Amino acid sequence: MSKSNVSKLLAVFAIASMVLAACGGGAEPTAEPAAGGPKVTSSGFECPEPSPRVDVTSKELNIFVWTEYFPQDMLDCFELVYDIKLNRDEYSSNEEMYAKLAAGGSAYDLAQPTDYIVPLMIRQGLLQEFDHAQMPNMKNFDEGWMNQEFDPGNKYSVPYLAGTDAIVVNTDAVENVPQSWADLWKPEYAGKMVFLDDSRAVIGATLLTLGYDVNTTDPAQLEEAKAKLAELVPNIKLFDSDSPKTALIAGDVDLGMTWTFEALAAQQENPAIQYVYPTEGAILWQDNWVMLKDAAHADAAYAWLNYIMQGDVFWLTLIDYTYINPNKAALEFAKANHTDVYSAYADSPITNPPADAIANGHGIQDVGEATPLYDNIWVEVKGE
Amino acid sequence: MNPHKRHPLIVVATVLVYIFLYAPILILMLYSFNASKANVKFEGFIPAFSERVEMKGSLVQASPCGPFHWFCDLAKNDDVLEAAGNTLTIAFISTIISTIIGTMAALALQRYEFKLKPFSQVSLYIPIVIPEIVMGIGILTLFSQLFGLLNSALGLTGDSRLSLGLGTVIVSHIAFSVPFVTLVVQARLQGFDKSFEEAAMDLGANEWTTFRRVTFPMILPGILSGGLLAFTLSLDDFVITFFTNGPGSTTLPIYVYGLLRRIITPQVNALSTVWILAVFSIVLLLQILQNREQRQH
Amino acid sequence: MLKRLRENKSAQGTLLASPTMLWMLGLLIIPLILTMVISFGKRSPDGNVIYAFSLDNYIRLFGYSTDCDGGQASCFNPLYLQILWRSISLAFKTTVWVIVLAYPLAYFIARATPKRRNTFLFMVLIPLWTNFVIRVYAWMMLLRKEGAINIILGAAANFLHIPFQPLEMLYTPGAVLVGMIYEFLPFMILPIFTSLEKIEVPLYEAAADLGANAIKTFLRVTLPLSMPGVVAGTILVFIPVMGTFIVSDLLGGRQVILVGNLIQRQFLDARDPTFGSAASLILMIMTLIVTYFYTRKFGFGEEIVVA
Repeated sequence: MSKSNVSKLLAVFAIASMVLAACGGGAEPTAEPAAGGPKVTSSGFECPEPSPRVDVTSKELNIFVWTEYFPQDMLDCFELVYDIKLNRDEYSSNEEMYAKLAAGGSAYDLAQPTDYIVPLMIRQGLLQEFDHAQMPNMKNFDEGWMNQEFDPGNKYSVPYLAGTDAIVVNTDAVENVPQSWADLWKPEYAGKMVFLDDSRAVIGATLLTLGYDVNTTDPAQLEEAKAKLAELVPNIKLFDSDSPKTALIAGDVDLGMTWTFEALAAQQENPAIQYVYPTEGAILWQDNWVMLKDAAHADAAYAWLNYIMQGDVFWLTLIDYTYINPNKAALEFAKANHTDVYSAYADSPITNPPADAIANGHGIQDVGEATPLYDNIWVEVKGE
Repeated sequence: MNPHKRHPLIVVATVLVYIFLYAPILILMLYSFNASKANVKFEGFIPAFSERVEMKGSLVQASPCGPFHWFCDLAKNDDVLEAAGNTLTIAFISTIISTIIGTMAALALQRYEFKLKPFSQVSLYIPIVIPEIVMGIGILTLFSQLFGLLNSALGLTGDSRLSLGLGTVIVSHIAFSVPFVTLVVQARLQGFDKSFEEAAMDLGANEWTTFRRVTFPMILPGILSGGLLAFTLSLDDFVITFFTNGPGSTTLPIYVYGLLRRIITPQVNALSTVWILAVFSIVLLLQILQNREQRQH
Repeated sequence: MLKRLRENKSAQGTLLASPTMLWMLGLLIIPLILTMVISFGKRSPDGNVIYAFSLDNYIRLFGYSTDCDGGQASCFNPLYLQILWRSISLAFKTTVWVIVLAYPLAYFIARATPKRRNTFLFMVLIPLWTNFVIRVYAWMMLLRKEGAINIILGAAANFLHIPFQPLEMLYTPGAVLVGMIYEFLPFMILPIFTSLEKIEVPLYEAAADLGANAIKTFLRVTLPLSMPGVVAGTILVFIPVMGTFIVSDLLGGRQVILVGNLIQRQFLDARDPTFGSAASLILMIMTLIVTYFYTRKFGFGEEIVVA
């Protein structure tokens, strides 16, 4: 390359990138609000006022959250209403989130662990206690989801959304619809299944087929589960905790284990896809907000939490990324103002599981010292 | 014998390999016009223009941007623009710094003898031959421990705390770029004809002037090549950035990886198409400039 | 002081090289030492590092396991060695394929007219300059059951009235191999091209004059002279393949576990940084050993790196 060519190349790069960087630097959240009027997002949704309005000096909020979990309007409205920039990084497994936070050096304010990871994070001193006085909207949650075993008194966590892990089946492609976890071991399903890339959920389901508790710490029982799981893994085509519905919709897999919203979204694409609560019991879970110990923007965090917990904001999750909704105020708001959305939510057994499915379900809990046992099983069984 | 004539088999093989290289990219670009939001099968182009987006199930029937619906979707996506801005910022800063210090190191290694020379040579080869993940994990460990110590020792809190972010990414990019820059410049220096420098010195120039007016212009192509290599490496880096980034410092490769973890709409394809076209136009521009220059000679 | 600096050549050298040396020390040497220290540590139940001196992680990597099927006290668990082997063989297969595909192309470009040469080169570079992750995604779209390849094959089969079942290509080890080949092909084309380009035309003419036919010319002139390029390309391909985790993650359905995946999972999912560090170090040592023996036999190919 001759000298003048390369300098021309650099000039071109310089100009192109300056243009792009200028565009990137000036990115605004959404449409300009009318002076003094209500804020409106780019999709035309009118943002409710925050009630109560929290005093905030921070200009940014760093949240570390699950993928595919927030209606865009919810995010946009918060940025518009409070003029705070929301930096969102995502993960698709609790272990990944925990590893990044435990490694240190991260600058997140809020995270969203599932129930069983919360005690671990408390033990490791990663969290700070919530000041309930600053979170009046906590009352919007149904008591049934508060004050759980993993965090009595909700000192460190407040709920976000809940759901189940159960069996998903494309009834067009599968002759005999499985009814239990144990059914998934049948050879006829070999090579057609997608499973979650989640050690506790999958090992838990295996334990249930053996009649054991999903939270057992008995090494002998875990050994059995490991052997049983080793039989299943070769039949699994794909492990996916990011977006298992993609493979289902695409027809790369026909059935498997997945969670609430994935099944719902897949069903919306292809009505033949059904969600089956296994006879041994589905796995129940609940995702929660926690505030990290060294959060630099605590005031913005409280503003965010209070805002999204409002009924007139939280109900957005009934439209996009629908899960089991623990927020009473949101459900009542939807019932009163958006009956179609509410009925869709209430009528679907996926988002509104029948009482016996809940009663029969199992929650994953922290197993403390026995955690490495589960981790080792997972590595070894998948590594074959 | 015509040196430019090649055996027909070779020509056939070449064509096939080029097809292999381009087919995935072309399919990718085609799907960015996919009417189906689910983006599994190609369901045709979006037929009509309309005020609002009209959907039938997961098929986009009409849109304000017509067939370019997903590109408009992309333009509204601020995360992408931010990621693009970050990627370029990181690439620029790390390229400039690594080119400067890499060139200095190349000069040192090629022309001087000094005590730590073997150490430098070896440590510069290591990043080239080890997998990125080894380096990425190491750097993450370093930063985690270091920041933990510094934050508590200096009592830093809130926004002034040291944490993973744009700075750590830039620093890490420099670390893996410098060896390449040094290698390229060193190779250039190896073929360097010292007689020019000697002539200049004989004519009375001091060392600095000789460097500035003789040496530097002659090794400039090597420096620029090295810089270009560093820029390319930084632009495309995934692994090291994956381990060293933090909130607000997402780069395009990380962002695309994140997009792949969600419902994959053709927006990802639109992003890919824009990226490919951008690269293509720059390359085309280069070609034109180069042809014009060759014609001038 | 400046005057003294001028005279002391050694000090000048040190000064010039110092920023780079500092960078390498801080961001390469120290992290590697840290990784080594951690690899000798133990893991707390919650996944933290307990600093100690223990060879447990290495022992586990090489197959010694106390967690045996038959109830024995200890046995050989080849799991991790299998993973290492799988990675090496994938890297090897990829490299071989890449050489096979790259060579004709590189030869073609090297023998093209100088004007056209740059165009052909840039055509190779364009895919390289588009994002790594995007290129993997492109293959996902091609290989799925309802992806482009199956659609084309299906249409062809329909045309020829042959019964057709869509091929299951995605989420298989084959998909990972194809993905790796695709990702790293340009890295082999460029070095081979550079070394082939250096072969001057008179050499070919001389060979022809001496009566060599095309094959002989190739085997005795072209191939040996292009070896530096092949060597440089091999290093640029073999090593990254061993460490890449994205291709096997996305195209292998998280089922194809290579060393890169193992390391990444240990740090992220399994919360065992000590074991991950040990695996990381073993990977590095392996690549250094491979590189050392390879370059001793074939040279380092550094003359190729100049663009």
